[in-house]
Amino acid sequence: MSNTPSSDTRSSDSLITTDVETGSNDRTAESRATAVATRDLNVYYGDEQAIDDVSMDIPENRVTALIGPSGCGKSTFLRCINRMNDMIEVCRVEGEVEFGGKNVYDADVDPVALRRRIGMVFQKPNPFPKSIRDNVAYGLKIQGFDGDVDERVEESLKGAALWDEVKDQLDSSGLDLSGGQQQRLCIARAIAPDPEVILMDEPTSALDPVAASKIEDLIDDLAEEYTVIIVTHNMQQAARISDRTAVFLTGGRLVEYDDTAKIFEDPEEQRVEDYITGKFG
Amino acid sequence: MATDTDTARIEGFGEVSRVRGIVFEYLSLGASVLGIFALAVLLIYVTIDAFDLAGTSPVWLLTYFVTLVVPFLAFCLYSARDREVTRRAVTVSGGGLVAVAAVFTAIETFVGQIPRLNWQLAYLFVVVAPLTGYLVYVGARGRPGAVGFGLVGRLIGGTAIGLAFSVLFLVFDERLWFLAYTIGIVPAALVYGYGRVRDVSVASAAAIPIAVLGVLVAVLLRPVVDVYPTTVFIYLWTLAIPIAAAGALLVNGRGNRTAALVAGGVPLALAVVIGLFGRAAGLGVGGPNALLVISVAGVPTAVYLHRVFDVGEGVTGLGVPVLLVGGALVGAFVVETFGIPTPNPWVSETFLTEAPSRNARDAGLYPAIVGSVIIIAMVAVFSFVLGVATSVFLEEYTADSGVIGALTRLLQINIANLAAVPSVVYGLLGLGLFANLLGFGFGTAVTVSLTLSLLILPITIISAQEAIRSVPDDLRRGSDAMGATRWQTTKNVVLPEAFPGILTGTILALGRAIGETAPLIMVGAATTVFSAPSSLFSKFSAMPMQIYAWANFPQEEFRYGVVAAGVITLLIILIGMNGTAILLRNRAERGT
Repeated sequence: MSNTPSSDTRSSDSLITTDVETGSNDRTAESRATAVATRDLNVYYGDEQAIDDVSMDIPENRVTALIGPSGCGKSTFLRCINRMNDMIEVCRVEGEVEFGGKNVYDADVDPVALRRRIGMVFQKPNPFPKSIRDNVAYGLKIQGFDGDVDERVEESLKGAALWDEVKDQLDSSGLDLSGGQQQRLCIARAIAPDPEVILMDEPTSALDPVAASKIEDLIDDLAEEYTVIIVTHNMQQAARISDRTAVFLTGGRLVEYDDTAKIFEDPEEQRVEDYITGKFG
Repeated sequence: MATDTDTARIEGFGEVSRVRGIVFEYLSLGASVLGIFALAVLLIYVTIDAFDLAGTSPVWLLTYFVTLVVPFLAFCLYSARDREVTRRAVTVSGGGLVAVAAVFTAIETFVGQIPRLNWQLAYLFVVVAPLTGYLVYVGARGRPGAVGFGLVGRLIGGTAIGLAFSVLFLVFDERLWFLAYTIGIVPAALVYGYGRVRDVSVASAAAIPIAVLGVLVAVLLRPVVDVYPTTVFIYLWTLAIPIAAAGALLVNGRGNRTAALVAGGVPLALAVVIGLFGRAAGLGVGGPNALLVISVAGVPTAVYLHRVFDVGEGVTGLGVPVLLVGGALVGAFVVETFGIPTPNPWVSETFLTEAPSRNARDAGLYPAIVGSVIIIAMVAVFSFVLGVATSVFLEEYTADSGVIGALTRLLQINIANLAAVPSVVYGLLGLGLFANLLGFGFGTAVTVSLTLSLLILPITIISAQEAIRSVPDDLRRGSDAMGATRWQTTKNVVLPEAFPGILTGTILALGRAIGETAPLIMVGAATTVFSAPSSLFSKFSAMPMQIYAWANFPQEEFRYGVVAAGVITLLIILIGMNGTAILLRNRAERGT
């Protein structure tokens, strides 16, 4: 196993306290264009409301973390952005999600075309039962990519910090990799078609701490090129890797959304502070 | 066995009663053993009748045992390289001989005569046959054994597939195939290859439309064009050359150009020489079918040989075919020299290649074998295509709720119930729909295969649905999130993953179709046909029909000998077909 290049200078072993080091030192949220914005977003599963009137602007080329207790609607929010909720028959979405200058829920938006511009990484690594090369090239294949596939595969694997580990076994099955490698393979798969936004739904919760820290380093690098929106249950992780943090609390309400440093050091809301310090949730 | 359910207290811990579980375990075991035993006795007697083993002299059996069986078992032991296995095999064969002879004599003395069986045969079936099976299994785990059995499998399997092809060409027009191949498939393959090499995706995408167009043109041209090359040339151009080229490409992919030329070229040259000049040279084989069989069996064998030599392990295993053929030849020589009386088996060349006859010794199954092979090929294609398409539609495309959902559920219930409908009813449906209404004729290949396809379609659909449902949803979501359309997800992710399961269901269903008689009788298939069918609309018979007809003959030779031979032939073809399909499936499972 090779070591992942780490540009991270922050301490990764600090626990959540009110004075934890937070946010990326060299990136601030100001003066950034908005990549994704929601306006009065409401989502219902049947009669149950999963998202309650959420409006937020997610900045370009930044890592935005969504945190909150289980069932607070953060994953639902994530899936609204690339319309993966369309697959759930009882799910109903009201309000707007703006991406690329358009409301993605407009009638003339093809969800398949939308998803080609937004990559997604799931909680459980889900590589296809194909070779590593075919896994990474999958998006290129279905989108009819006309360039040099092998070159793009190499670039993407390097981008996912996996190239050195798998460059000699590109034809072996993606399922033969370890859990952490599989998740990085899924990240490589997601970035291969060069999307604008990458959605991550608890990408490290099924991994051991070493593999998780590799992914965290990777997310930091990815923000150079992509807008990353990540759902996490792990507060230290949100504090370490994100620039902006949105806190959802029960009922799908967005309680507070600000720079990560602000959220973790001096939140406006008492409930947020309670949640972050573990008094509730 | 303790029957009380009280827990006896022994030094602090209680003892928990497992009586019910143990009773259940042994009852189940007993039932399965009983079933297998009954089936084994039946098959033993069928084999004895089919090969006329009851009338065989023990010396004849002994001769072949020594020249053929013993060397083969020795090879298996050599391959296994396990002292323990060798010791066990010797003990079993020696001890088994004494035990079987003693038990057999005891039964004959005290109970009564056992019909058509002597202790030598009993030894053969009770000890030698299971021992051979076990040693083949153990031997295949050693490298020489794996190589040897792989080689024999490719030779036999290739020959069987080649023969099946030549049978199919009895009813399918090889001239139409020639046109379709030349106008449609070759240009499409060239365009596709060009697209892949030059990275022009338009060219790759154009391949399928070109193929379809070419085939359509071929169908239109067939009645107009009336100058065709000979059948030998058609087989050479449309089958032997592409198979040889595929084999050569495969070897070339492993990085050896010379070996590729040899692996593709030598079987091709052999096929051409024997196909063109075999008869004239007095070899006894020749003509287009010989060319077909030799190339279909030869190329995979050559590719396999290359791999074995490339790996360089277990090369001694390549001697297995020599061992088997040599053993048989030596046995024949000894039998000839010493004038040992030979048995007169019912399963013989005559039986496999001649038409039925009123005389038991001349009776043959050839038209029925051809009929069954053609029917099975068509049923496999129809039911696989329709079954997979339906199950994909039901699992991946229809909605779960609303009006569509209700309709889907109705359809689902209907399909489940159709699986339980008696086959006679399907026969009636085939009679009304295909024979009468659509006018495909009574008992023709088309009517029979469509009816049988309908019969097994529910089974195929349900098992394919199960296989598709067992593909994890994670994979579908992963593909969807990449921006794949439903079709792309199905084609690239779901179907490849579900393929082994789908194939398992189809294999089971085909096994049922090949043995069916009732629907065949209903659609008016002939019990006996005297010549092999020459078109899809000529009168057909199938093996089970013919066997059933023979079973009603008054002569004893028919009811015992010929029927037994028919059953054995049917079973061998069925097992061969299933075996091939299972090998394919296992390969697909490992391939991903």
